[in-house]
Amino acid sequence: MPTYNTDPFYALADPNRRAILMLIRKEKRSINTLATNFDVSRPAVSKHIKVLHDAGFLHYEDVGRERFCRLNPDGFNGVKEWVEHFEQFWETKVHNLEQLLKKRANLKNKKR
Amino acid sequence: MKRDIHLEWFLAFPRQEVWTCLTDPELIGQWLMKNDFQPVVGHRFQFRDKPKKGFGWDGIVYCQVLEVISEEKLSFRWQGGPGDGSLTLDSVVTWTLIAQPGGTRLVLDHTGFSGFKGLIASMIMKKGWAHHVIRRFTEILTKRTHAHV
Repeated sequence: MPTYNTDPFYALADPNRRAILMLIRKEKRSINTLATNFDVSRPAVSKHIKVLHDAGFLHYEDVGRERFCRLNPDGFNGVKEWVEHFEQFWETKVHNLEQLLKKRANLKNKKR
Repeated sequence: MKRDIHLEWFLAFPRQEVWTCLTDPELIGQWLMKNDFQPVVGHRFQFRDKPKKGFGWDGIVYCQVLEVISEEKLSFRWQGGPGDGSLTLDSVVTWTLIAQPGGTRLVLDHTGFSGFKGLIASMIMKKGWAHHVIRRFTEILTKRTHAHV
């Protein structure tokens, strides 16, 4: 079975992969061009690009015999939405918790 | 890229009180969700709320208690999915309570999303703010990339 990981957090965990995204953020670049920017081997760069592609951070564009990589901003949506959704969720819930604590403290005071 | 959610609050109430509200199923139901929680390591329980279909969630959080240190720490597994038997979200929630003058510091860590990929696929993508997001992420990436050099 081929390895296939669409987790954006996994994709962004590697500094080389983040660097690749930096390099293509303004314009598409060929895999060969990208590879010249790194000390690691070209197959290693290709592997990083595949991880980014699987996670939806970039599109491939084949021009002649060369493969170009173009940034896909939608790749970031999942990260942003997930974090924002749950942060908001917990903020709301802990606000509820605080109200409950207040209510309980008031009840105790009345009993005294 | 950090995948963790880390939030902190200061609550002007004693740590014991906060702990009670975090671990009593009846009280948890009043501020979080209906549940059958027990502060016992290994105990499997559920939270139930209204389903959010657009978010690929059927309204049930499948949980298991991982760690209980009385008045200090509570940790449980937090899984969820669209209701077809698959669990697209597999994460861990940890509460840490620190007694402070005049109250309690409550720390939340929500981490580890191995099954997160399915959730993203089901998310509704909005194009409007994509460029804004990209700019913000570019800033973060720049900082982090430099930090690694």
